[in-house]
Amino acid sequence: MIHIDPASELGTLLRERFGAEDFPKDAAPLVSPERHVELARVLAEEHGYRVFLYVAASHWPVVAPNPKKEGDTGDPEHYEIAYALRRPGPNTDVAHWRVRVDVGHSVPSLVPLFAGADWQEREQYDLVGVVFEGHPDLRRLMMPEDWEGHPLRRDYAIDTACPPWR
Amino acid sequence: MSVELTAQRRADPYLDLEDYDPEADLMVLNVGPQHPSTHGVFRMKLYLDGEVIVKAVPYVGYLHRGVEKLCEKLTYTQVTPIVDKNDYVSPMMNEQAINMAFEDLLGVEVPRRARWLRTVLAELQRIASHLLWLGTFTLDLGGAIGGGSTLFLYCFRERELVLDIFEELTGCRFHYNTHTIGGNRHDITPGWAKMVHEAISVIEARTHEYEAMVTRNGIYADRTRGIGVIDAGLAMELGLTGPALRGSGVDHDLRRDAPYHAYDEVEVRVQTEAAGDCMARALVRIREMRESVRIVREMVDGVPEGPICGHRPIKLATQTKIKAGQAYACLESPRGELGTFVIAGGGSGTACPYRLKIRPPSLHALAAVPYIMPGHMVSDAVAILGSLDPILGEADR
Repeated sequence: MIHIDPASELGTLLRERFGAEDFPKDAAPLVSPERHVELARVLAEEHGYRVFLYVAASHWPVVAPNPKKEGDTGDPEHYEIAYALRRPGPNTDVAHWRVRVDVGHSVPSLVPLFAGADWQEREQYDLVGVVFEGHPDLRRLMMPEDWEGHPLRRDYAIDTACPPWR
Repeated sequence: MSVELTAQRRADPYLDLEDYDPEADLMVLNVGPQHPSTHGVFRMKLYLDGEVIVKAVPYVGYLHRGVEKLCEKLTYTQVTPIVDKNDYVSPMMNEQAINMAFEDLLGVEVPRRARWLRTVLAELQRIASHLLWLGTFTLDLGGAIGGGSTLFLYCFRERELVLDIFEELTGCRFHYNTHTIGGNRHDITPGWAKMVHEAISVIEARTHEYEAMVTRNGIYADRTRGIGVIDAGLAMELGLTGPALRGSGVDHDLRRDAPYHAYDEVEVRVQTEAAGDCMARALVRIREMRESVRIVREMVDGVPEGPICGHRPIKLATQTKIKAGQAYACLESPRGELGTFVIAGGGSGTACPYRLKIRPPSLHALAAVPYIMPGHMVSDAVAILGSLDPILGEADR
């Protein structure tokens, strides 16, 4: 399970400089989309997390409010984008964080900081549909250019028909 | 070779050709997707000024099979045989990477015997994978090594020995499906250790020969020294891992730095080279083969007694229910850090992963192409691509 200890060096940085409040036991902490490019820069330049590991976006459909639970407002349709950077060498460590945006909003791109984010963000745009703002060349990576829809969204049926030449 | 152009270590992948030289008569050369030197179905568009590459635009996705989407509809125990086909040169690594993530989510302890067995299998697989790389790389370089196909066939001959070992253990020469959540499915047979010893002594002796054939060959050296230089900064920024990162002088190996399986019980000597060119990456891989031989020889006799799986066999796949959470597990595959990021959903339908992301080292290696290829000759493009050791099944998934 991914867990960042709030008392660790990374946890302290996230708490004090980037306003992360919740450190769940089974997931990475959430950081606001406005601050996350700065977080990546600080991690790379000041803390040695210089290897770009991955971007993994996931799509979460609308959750209707549960009438049995009082005060439950449900959850709007949103994307959750998980990032990871690695510090190489004998004291290796991985910095995980997550960004949450509602559908229709974009996430600032990490390409100006990490060349490796280029294809990773293109892949997530292609398969999940997240738009990365400031990406120099946001095209589909895996699917054909004229493909309709984003296959890894939860509302994309696995047996969606496609013409035979694909 | 254009020395002054290779000194420019980081090309602009978004280069506007109008900015390069509006007067230049550039030629567009399409390489792939069906091309022997692309090691699969990789395509790149090369813009050439004479014989010098000005801009390289790679295209991937020709082998995209939607593995991640498929995994969302499969139960956790059904995922293993699917991911076998990702990195089809080292299937053991795929199985291990995916099961390590599920074990982490479930909190399952892997017995010590299974961890040792996994280590031995991983190192044998590394030898097989690097042998295949060496054979195809020398084939890429064409006439450099005795007409090209000599070393290629030698390497395949030795790789057969490793595949025989796997066949004896699992019944399959490829796509083994031998790992499961919490351990392994096939236990070693009485004569297996002897078979491994015989194979690795042959392989060890031959790797010395092959290293001499490669490094003491003038044509080989000319075609790989100073070609495709990746400096450490660019390598890390691109997310290169494994031999490509170590060939750029970064001393990092997950087997030593973040030990998994039984690597904490064995010494791993990390091989690095500072030059960052094709030769450096080749040397790292050849030395790693010998390092793997040593690790296998140390471990194969001492596989501890005990169970090989941490739980009873799962009869119904839907019995494996995992509570909500996110996990990332990674291991050092022959190509670098092979990671699995998995989101397990809570509530109903938890027998399948909610979202599964495989971090393929080959995709990151291919992303380096537009940064390092410009400035080189067309013939060097093949050497650079071969030295990155991409496996398209894994990059495209």
